[in-house]
Order: sequence, then structure tokens, then C-alpha cells
Amino acid sequence: MTDILRLAGVSREYKMDGVTFQALRDVSLTIKQGEFIAIMGPSGSGKSTLMHLIGCLDRPSSGKIFIEGKDIIGANDRELAEIRNTHIGFVFQQFNLLRKTSALANVELPLIYAKIASRARRERAIEMLKEVGLAEKMSNFPSQLSGGQQQRVAIARALITNPSIILADEPTGNLDSKSGKDIMDIFENLHAHGRTIVLVTHDENVAKHAKRIIRIADGEIMNDKGKMKL
Amino acid sequence: MNMFEPIRLALRSLRTNKVRSLLTMLGIIIGVSSVILLVSIGSGLQDYITTQFQSLGANTIYIMPGKIDLKNVSSAGQSMMTSKLETADVNNILHGSSVITDIGPAVAASGLLTYKGKTISTETAGIWENYFTITNFEAASGDIIRQSDVERSRKVVVLGDKPAADLFGDADPVGQSIDISGVRYLVKGRLAAKGSGAMGSNVDDHAFIPYTTALRQFSFTNPQMIVLKVANQNDIAPAIEDINHVMLRRLKDTDFTVLQQTELLNTITQFLGVITVALGGIAAISLLVGGIGIMNIMLVSVTERTREIGLRKAVGATSRDILFQFLIEAIILSLTGGIIGISIGALGSLALRSVIKTAVTLWSVGLAAGFSTVIGIIFGVAPAVRASQLDPIEALRYE
Repeated sequence: MTDILRLAGVSREYKMDGVTFQALRDVSLTIKQGEFIAIMGPSGSGKSTLMHLIGCLDRPSSGKIFIEGKDIIGANDRELAEIRNTHIGFVFQQFNLLRKTSALANVELPLIYAKIASRARRERAIEMLKEVGLAEKMSNFPSQLSGGQQQRVAIARALITNPSIILADEPTGNLDSKSGKDIMDIFENLHAHGRTIVLVTHDENVAKHAKRIIRIADGEIMNDKGKMKL
Repeated sequence: MNMFEPIRLALRSLRTNKVRSLLTMLGIIIGVSSVILLVSIGSGLQDYITTQFQSLGANTIYIMPGKIDLKNVSSAGQSMMTSKLETADVNNILHGSSVITDIGPAVAASGLLTYKGKTISTETAGIWENYFTITNFEAASGDIIRQSDVERSRKVVVLGDKPAADLFGDADPVGQSIDISGVRYLVKGRLAAKGSGAMGSNVDDHAFIPYTTALRQFSFTNPQMIVLKVANQNDIAPAIEDINHVMLRRLKDTDFTVLQQTELLNTITQFLGVITVALGGIAAISLLVGGIGIMNIMLVSVTERTREIGLRKAVGATSRDILFQFLIEAIILSLTGGIIGISIGALGSLALRSVIKTAVTLWSVGLAAGFSTVIGIIFGVAPAVRASQLDPIEALRYE
């Protein structure tokens, strides 16, 4: 299995009012193709910081990050945006769909920034919505969809660029248990089809779907169970 | 992204907030339409005055008694009464200058014109036979005043279009007799209308009788005015020089004034030009206010759409993509407002046509369109930069 993502001795500190806060210290971590990982930890543990680094939304203070072997430390903002576009598929707790914008247009969004022509965008977005079972809702606005349906639209949006990693931040946090289970089923299914998934959660019931659980506390990895063997 | 993608994005987001977009444009619409409208009124006035003057004869020069200050026109009245001009000056000037083609003295008095019991008051001018050539008047029917009329002090009158219409309606007055202040005159002709509009003195509201007849009827001894004409524009300056040369031999320079159309016209158009620019400037201030309105709304919009910006960045938008999206939104708002404003201003100016000849000038349209685009850019930059520099992590957390 190839390495999708590798963090080598990554630290991240924040300076606030002259006080330095160490959010992550010397974290090393390798994520391989097809893994289904849950990152767990209490709030303030550094799991959000880790997620932002994996998602290329942030840069480490020291250490190195490689995505599919490519060092991203030297990348400028534009290159980082391109890496997010092609390698990362985000799924958020709040869904983050554009309101007054159809489900179809929401799913198309990443392809606009990938400079794909509008007809091809549309075709692929319809395909993705079919995959999450929402083809008949494609012209609905987010406000006309249930929470579970909105999150499925968001997953379709995350999948449309065929990213290296699906990065989901508390994807069931705003859903009732039934919808939450549906969403987890989708993730299970994606995993079965060989997708690499990283879940960030504090919910043990969600985390147990994952094959590997990384526990974080005080900016360090405490426990890393179920790592894939070579 | 290609050229059109940011425009499509901006249009989509403006469409989702139709009412707000329209309200934002309102400032620009009002500003642009008032610039167009006010400038069109100003230049309409300028055109109007220019045509009026040209219809009076562009190469015409007037010698008036007394000192007339163009900036203090009210002083003209008194000096008319004590005219030191003499009929002999006419020949002296004609012999003293090589560029003057026609010259004649004139007097004027308020005359009461009566026909079949109907009486009207009209400025009655006593004129030399070449007056009509000098001032570009033509007879619509009958004939004008001729040399023999002046020589023999005939009691004939040529009516301007207005008194003719007032006394005779559509009927031909030629050959009829009318009384002018108690003396019977034969109507010799009716002049073609020059068509003065709603403003200013009416050049058609005159009656003309031979100069010699007028002197006797109104007890004048001196001409109140000497009117002359040169062949072309270039002859005006030498003509004035010659006139001054001849006249100063006999009179002080405070006893007469040489007026010419172009000088008068220039003064008036200059004045109107200043007014037009001032009106445009005042209206342009409202454009500025409109621009501030756009900036205000765009800043609100950036704050409101913080999460959207964060999301767009997370899925691959660069800072430049976000910058262009918001900048183009601002430009589309102001440009659309500008186009609507131009249409409204042009329609308004068209509607005013019946009252005053307005003219929508190309420069005011260009200025308004250019100005509103520039305003969109200037006032759109700050919000767009703010949007583009949002940290995606912070933006996604924003509640």
C-alpha cells in the first residue's frame, strides 16, 4: 500500500498576546491508501490542528508533510489551494453548503476551481449525487433538504474531485442518530471501495466504524491502534 | 478559472440577493441618471442659445450708444435715451473700412398696432433697407423694406411673424392697412418666422418701418443703433478696429459700444458651460455616495458570507479567485446601475424635449459609464481584499 500522507516530526505553535501555545508537538504519522482512520481526543487536544494540517488549510511550525510523496511545506497559497482541490475532500459538521444554491451547483463547486468546463462539471455532479442517492433532489436548495440529505450532498461535493483523502470533521455531529447511521454507512461503503477516509470525532460510536483509531491529548499522539501493516 | 467563470459566479450570487442588489444599485442609478439629465439640460440650453444667435446673423456687429458693460447689462437702458450716435456715422464708417459689406442705422420704439379694433403692443423698429440682409430675415409673403421706402419715408410696415399672427391669424396681411400709434400704414410684407422657443426675447415679435419714417413718427433725431455686417468671421476684428478708429475721431470711448454676436455668444455659452459642469459635478457627488453604498453593502456581504469564503477556499479557491469574485460583483453592480441610470437619464431628457431642447451628450454618457465602473473598482477593492485574505480555518469556524 502506498503512503497517501506522511507527517514527519510536525509541530504547530500559536502565538497569542506574546504567549506561545503548543498545539501539536513532534507528531509523526503515516496514512496509507485505503485506510479508514478516526482521530479522537478531547477539545483542546490538538485534533483540530492536526486535521487542518492534514487538510492543507494550515502549515506546521516545524516538521514536514508529504501528500503522495510531495512535500507541501514549500508550497505557496495558490499551490496549497490546488492541493486542497485535488487531494482533499472536506466534509464538515455544519455541512457548509451554499444557501440559495442548488444541490447540483453545490456539488459542482470544487470543479469550478479545478477549471473544468461547465458541461463536464454538471455530468460529474449528477453522477456523484446518484452515488449518494440524491439524484432526484439535485435542483433542491439546501433549505429544502433534511440534515442527512444535506450531509450527503456535502459528501458528493467532497468526492467529486476524486481526492486522495476524505477528511470528515464530526460529520454526524449535527444529525439525529438515524441520519448519522446513514452517513456512517456511506463512509463504510466508500471505505469498502478503497477510499482513504480520516474522521475527526469525539464520539466513540462513530470512531468504532474506523479500522484505526489515533488518540490525541495535549498535542501528542497517545495511542495509535489498528495501523495497517505493510 | 477562465474569463467568464468569475462573472458567472458573481452574477449567480447577485441573483440570490435580488432586492439587496437593486437597492445597492439605486445610489449609482440616481447619480448617473442625474448626471446625464442635468448635463443634457445644460448642453441643450447651450445649443439653443447658439442657434438663436446664429439665426440673428453670426457676422453681425452692433454699435450701441453709451458704454455697455456685458457684465452689467442693466446700464444699457439709460444710455439709449441719450444717443450720441449720428446718421452720418454710417457713411463715415462705411468709407473708413474695407471689410464692411452692409451697414445701416436703426431706431426702435414701443408701438401700438391696431387692425380692425384689435390692438397689440410690439417693438417697432425703424430700419435701413439692408437691415434684413444683415440680420438674415426673409419675407414669407409680400416684400421687405426697400431703398425707395426709406428715401421717400413711405408709411409701410413689414410685420414679424408674431404680430402678423396676432392681428391677422393665418390670413395674408399684405395689402391691408393697420394703425401704428395712430398713424395709418400699409402692410408691405410678412417675415418668415425664425422660430424662437419658450425662452428669451422673441426675434419674431417686431414690426419694421423705414428708418426715415420712424424718425418722424417717434421724434427721434439720432440712431439708437448702427447695425452692420462683414463678409466672414475673420473680418470681425478688423471691422471693429476700423469702427473704433472712425468713431473716436468724434466721440469719447464711453459714448459708444461695439457689440458683436460672437463675443456675446461666447460670454453666454461660457457661463452656461460653467453651469453645466457645476450641475454635473453636483450630480457626480451623488455618484460618490452611491459608490460608498456599494462598498458598505459589499463589506456586509463579505462578513455575511465568511463561511462561504472559508468553504470556497477549502475546496480549492485561491485568494485571487475570491478577490476577483467580490471585485467583479462590485463592478457588475455599479456598471449595471450605470447602464440603468444612463437609460433613465436619457428617457428623462427625451421627456423634457417638449419644454427645452435637451441634448444627451456622448461625453456625459461616457463619463457616467466610466465613472461608475471606476467607482465599482475603487469601492469594491477594499471588501474584495478583505474577503480574499480571510483565513479559511477562521472563516469556516465563523458563526
